[in-house]
Amino acid sequence: MDLYTIIFYIFAVITLGAACVVVFSRNIVRAAFALLFAFFGVAGIYVFLLADFIAITQLLIYVGGILVLILFGVMLTSHQIHVDTKTGTVQTLPAVMIVSALAGTIIGIFWSTDWNVSSQLKIMDKTAPQIGELLLTKYLLPFEIASVVLLVALIGAAMIARREKKPKD
Amino acid sequence: MEFIQTLLANELVVSIFLSLLPLVFIIVYALVVLYTEMKVAAHIQDRVAYMRTGWHGLLQPIADMLKLLQKEDIIPDKADKLLFRLAPIIAFVGTYAAYAVLPFSSIYIGSNINLGAFFLVAVGSLVVVGILMAGWASNNKWSLFGGVRSAAQMISYEIPTAIAIIIVVMITGSLNLQDVTKFQDGGIGNWVVFGGPLPWSQKLMLMPFTIITFFILFVSSIAEVNRTPFDLPEAESELVQGFNTEYSGMRFAMFYLSEYANLFTVSAVGVALFLGGWSSPFGTFMSGPVWGIFWFVAKAYVFVLIQIWVRWTLPRLRVDQLMYVSWKVLTPWLFACLLAVGLILVL
Amino acid sequence: MSAVGTYFYSIFHSLYTVVVGMKITIKHLFTRSATVQYPTVKMKIPERARNRLYVNIDDCIGCDQCSMACPVDCITIDTIKSTPDVDLGLTSKNTKKRLYVPRFDIDIAKCCYCGLCVWPCPTDCIVMTDVYEFSEYDRKNLIYSFSNMTADEIAGAKERLKKYDEEQAAKKAAIAAAAAEKAAAPMTPLPPKPELPAS
Repeated sequence: MDLYTIIFYIFAVITLGAACVVVFSRNIVRAAFALLFAFFGVAGIYVFLLADFIAITQLLIYVGGILVLILFGVMLTSHQIHVDTKTGTVQTLPAVMIVSALAGTIIGIFWSTDWNVSSQLKIMDKTAPQIGELLLTKYLLPFEIASVVLLVALIGAAMIARREKKPKD
Repeated sequence: MEFIQTLLANELVVSIFLSLLPLVFIIVYALVVLYTEMKVAAHIQDRVAYMRTGWHGLLQPIADMLKLLQKEDIIPDKADKLLFRLAPIIAFVGTYAAYAVLPFSSIYIGSNINLGAFFLVAVGSLVVVGILMAGWASNNKWSLFGGVRSAAQMISYEIPTAIAIIIVVMITGSLNLQDVTKFQDGGIGNWVVFGGPLPWSQKLMLMPFTIITFFILFVSSIAEVNRTPFDLPEAESELVQGFNTEYSGMRFAMFYLSEYANLFTVSAVGVALFLGGWSSPFGTFMSGPVWGIFWFVAKAYVFVLIQIWVRWTLPRLRVDQLMYVSWKVLTPWLFACLLAVGLILVL
Repeated sequence: MSAVGTYFYSIFHSLYTVVVGMKITIKHLFTRSATVQYPTVKMKIPERARNRLYVNIDDCIGCDQCSMACPVDCITIDTIKSTPDVDLGLTSKNTKKRLYVPRFDIDIAKCCYCGLCVWPCPTDCIVMTDVYEFSEYDRKNLIYSFSNMTADEIAGAKERLKKYDEEQAAKKAAIAAAAAEKAAAPMTPLPPKPELPAS
């Protein structure tokens, strides 16, 4: 087993362990913090997939943005911190159906993918310029639509956050 | 000798050794900055600071460090003990990770990845999580306020920082900090802050925008390291040191070290992006790998000095002023610069 | 000013004031520090500074005025009357001393350095000095005794006073007895008063 395999397994264990804590922890803040390690582990695995840009974006967006947002949400609703989250099972039948469908899809993709890519894939020197070029040529429409959606979300957030003007009487 | 040779042949040992170099640097540098900060602060206030330990108190930082190391480590009874222990480690890891991409010299850079500048912005968020964790785990209102304020502040100021970095990347055409530095090699005139090594017509047009960008990067970097006038998360007078109120001994030392290491990081980023990194300001004179380390550290140190000077001059901002500066002043101005620089580069 | 004008003016104003502040601090960075290295270098204290009290016990006449003036009652004075046969000498101001001072204690821990005890002293024997370093580990050490009388001397003085008092009492008793005797005898007219000399 070479060094890179060991590091890969370390990242895998971090990701899965942290994900288990997220799911099973009764303390909601701890679950939120465990997400940090899950995101971090996933970023590490992206590096192993030679997707350095995605790995760093994962860190920036998920750890720097989404995780902090979740933590803010948890901390600002402070009265819920010490309440144990419900982990009992409700509505067993629909849950089993949905989960098995999801699992089936993932396993199906897992089996149908040709995993032996290392011989085909040449190590790309610079990923960022290529991603940029593709985004502005081949995938221009999805890129622009995503930006418009984000803009709409921004305006909506500003709208909600704005103080209502009191009607003059 | 043979033992050393076999050691050097081992890839793992060499990479561990190389990755520990910045740690040694951080510790030595933190002692120097601690001393400088105390002395500058004292002289600005017409005092003399420590004079007893060694010549002009030179040994005082070492004494301070030893004191912190042997102090009792207190964990509050009602704290979330696991997160309390984890928080300083995460904050320090986030800080230290940034050193992986700092180009100390033309031959030494921890990891010469192609997305260095992008990576720098990303790992800063780990520090935010560490501070939030410390604030929450302390189970103390001051700490929680400090943590939440710190997170809000660092996230807001990450945006101007990121845009400023993008502007430099537009000029240099690379996210690799080593390439960015090489782009500016060859004297003071080639620095990005003066328009970079472009034709004179473009350079003159770029100069006002690069100078504004550099200034804004400097301001937002002070905010990112939580120092006065943006030290709301620590605010001794209102929050009693904020997120590290409950920390003592070794764990406090880690936060402290992380803060000073961060101070160097932001200065170094400014230097690498705008002031030619390790390249000599006199072209080929005094240039080379070893001089490179000297120039890099010296330039960054000048910035640290300016930050110390600012800290002991200006009072703290109010929370709403802080957000006003970030969202209504720095960010729009940077967007204007981004647009202008883009247009000039296309011309 | 319009909103846009205010926006630009406030940016300019804040930058300008920051520059002003930083100019001041850098000027102070290079001015001489006001501090001195205290235990090795000492600042000159003012001529009339009030610090530790000192009592020149040779001049003290035991009048107790300082003790009465003290607002915090930190001065305790005991006195013993002297007998006419002993001469306690003169103070430096040529006042005759009539009292022994076996105890003159100042609890300097209580002292508030107001100096009120200094002014009433008729012989100027209690003064404030410029000594200000007298910290102690035990508070008891801060009670200063200025009396120079030994225990034997005190006992002797008391003994003599007691003897003298007894003698006086005996004398008084004798006089009283004589008076009583006289009272029993018929009244004699008083001798005429001597004329006061015209001044």
